[in-house]
Amino acid sequence: MKAYLELIKIDIKLAMRQRVVIFFNYLFPLVFFFAMSSALKARSTPGSAAYVLTMSLVLGILGSGLFGAGVRAIQEREMNILRRYKVTPITSGPLLAASMVTGWVIFMPSIVMLLAISHYWNYMPWPDHMIVLLIFVSIALVSFRAIGLVIASVANTMQEGTILVQLLYFPMLLLSGATIPASAFGYKVKILSDFIPSTYLVKGVNRLLMSHEDSGIVWLSAGALVITAIVGWTVGMKLFRWEKEEKIKGSAKLWVAAVLAPFLIIGLWEARNEKPAQPDRGVNQRPPAVKMAPPANAK
Amino acid sequence: MTSDAVISVQALRKSYADLEAVKGIDFEVLSGEVFGLLGPNGAGKTSTVEILEGLRPRSSGEARVLGFDPDRQKQQLKDRIGVCLQATNLPAKIRVHEAMELFASFYTRSLSSEKLLQRLQLWDKRAAAYETLSGGQKQRLALAMALVNDPQLLFLDEPTTGLDPQIRLEIHNLIEEMRSEGRTVLLTTHYIEEAERLCNRVAIMDEGKIVAMGTPRELQQQSHSQSRIQIVCAQQLESLETPQWPDAISSAVEDHGRTLTVYSTRPARTLFEIMKWVDQQGLQLEDIHLKKPTLEDVFVELTGKHLRD
Repeated sequence: MKAYLELIKIDIKLAMRQRVVIFFNYLFPLVFFFAMSSALKARSTPGSAAYVLTMSLVLGILGSGLFGAGVRAIQEREMNILRRYKVTPITSGPLLAASMVTGWVIFMPSIVMLLAISHYWNYMPWPDHMIVLLIFVSIALVSFRAIGLVIASVANTMQEGTILVQLLYFPMLLLSGATIPASAFGYKVKILSDFIPSTYLVKGVNRLLMSHEDSGIVWLSAGALVITAIVGWTVGMKLFRWEKEEKIKGSAKLWVAAVLAPFLIIGLWEARNEKPAQPDRGVNQRPPAVKMAPPANAK
Repeated sequence: MTSDAVISVQALRKSYADLEAVKGIDFEVLSGEVFGLLGPNGAGKTSTVEILEGLRPRSSGEARVLGFDPDRQKQQLKDRIGVCLQATNLPAKIRVHEAMELFASFYTRSLSSEKLLQRLQLWDKRAAAYETLSGGQKQRLALAMALVNDPQLLFLDEPTTGLDPQIRLEIHNLIEEMRSEGRTVLLTTHYIEEAERLCNRVAIMDEGKIVAMGTPRELQQQSHSQSRIQIVCAQQLESLETPQWPDAISSAVEDHGRTLTVYSTRPARTLFEIMKWVDQQGLQLEDIHLKKPTLEDVFVELTGKHLRD
C-alpha cells in the first residue's frame, strides 16, 4: 500500500510540473469551450450549451485516456524509466493504478470547472443527476485510460504507439457525435458510430446533461465502459512491458480489439435492432426552455 | 555451492533467438568480495548479470542468488539486492529526495534517505530536478538508490561507463567503501584499471564464455606476457656494449640513447643483473620502471582482442 500511495503522490506531482499536462487538461478545454460557445452562440441558443460541454468533456476524456495514459507509458518505457522500476520488488499493478488515479485527480477539476462555466456563462441548467454524471464521467475516464494503457502495451515503439492512438482518436472524436452531430450522419455512418466506444460516452453524457430522468442508454453505456475498463486493466497488466527491448508479437495487437469487444457487441445489438436512428436528443434537440436560466442582463 | 557463496552459477546459458549470448558459464561469488565480470561489449556480461538480478529468464543452467532462484523468486530476491543499471533513467522533473523516498517505499526495509544523500554528497542537490543533475550526480543518485534497501548484495553494471576520470575516481572510492562495509558486489566493467583496483576476483568473459578467473594478481601471473624493465641514465648508452641479460627476450637502447628497455620473463633476476651492470659501468641512474603484464595484456593474450573493441 505504501508503494501505491507514493507512486500516486509522485505521479500527481510530476504531472502538475508538466506544462503540457496543465495546458491539455485545463487551458485547452477552456479555449475550446469558449471558442465553441462563441461559434454556436451557446449563451443564447438553447441546447447549444450542453452540446458544447459534451464536446469539451469528450475531447478531454479522449485526450487524457489515449494521449495522457497511452503515449506517456510508451515514453517512459522508451526512456528506460520503467527499467529502473523493474529492478525493484514492485509489479506493474501499482504503476497502472497510479496512472489511473492521477488521470482522474487531474481531470476531475477540469470537469467541475467546465460544468460551472457552462452554468454561469452559458446559462446551462445544473444537471439533475450531478453525482451520476460525475460517476459516469469517472468511469469513462478510467475506461479510456485503460484503452490507452493497452495501446502502450502493444505498441513496440513511440512511432507505432502514435499511429495506433491517432487511428483510434480521430474516429472516436469524429464519429461519436461529439464534434459532428449524429443527426448529420448517413445511415451507414450511424451504424458505424454504434461500434465506437466514445459514442456511448457522448450518449451517456448527453442524456445526463439534458434529461431529467435516468435512461437505459446511460446504464448500457456505463456497463460497456466498465467492462472495457476491466478488460483493459487486465490486458494492460498481462502485456505490460518494462523495457523497450522486450518486443511484442504483431498478433498481440489484437488485444486492442478485445478491449473494444463490449462496443462491438452493443454495436451489433443496436444495428440488429435498427437503433442507430434512436432519438439522440442530447446532441440534436433542445432541452426544455423552462430549465434555461435567463441571462442576468437579459432584457 | 560453497557455504559462504552469495551467488552460485552452474552451466548458465542464455539465448536470444539464434544468438547464444551466454554459453554455459560457472562461477561463485563469495560473501564480502567484489567480483568483477570483465569483457568487451557483447561478451555476455550484462545478460549474465540481468539473469542474476531476476530481470530476464535463463535459457538453461542453475543460478542461486542469496539462496533464491532468480527465475522463480523474483520479488523476494529484488527486495534484498541493490542494482545500479547500465542504462536507466528517471522522470526529468522528479527531485532527488522524491526519487529516494519513492524507491524506498518499494522495499520491506529501507535506510534513511537523508543519510544516504549526505554520504553520496547529494544532500545539497536534494531539491534539484533529475534533469538538472550532471552525469556524475546522476550516477551517484543511482548508487544511492541501489543502497536504499540496505542490500547485502549489490549489482553494479558498468557503473562508470561514459563518466569523466574524476567522477570515475569518486565512484571507485564509493565502491571501496561498500567493500569495506562487508557488502558483496558483482561489478561488470570493461575498464581494466577498475577491475584491478576494486575487484578481489575477476572472471574474464568473451563471446559468452568465461576464459579465465582468479584474483587480478593470479591472472597476471598466469600470463605468458613479459614484464618490461626500463632504465634511464644520465649518460649515453649507445656506445656501450650491453650483455645478454638472463631471461631477457629482447633489449634495445632508445630515446636519444639514454634509455634501455628490456623485456623479461623473470624481471627480478633480469633487473638485478642490469643494476649490477649499471654499477660496474659507473653510470648514473636517473629513473627506473618495471611494468608487469596488466589484465588487459592477459585479456589480449587469451582472446586476441582488446577490451574496448
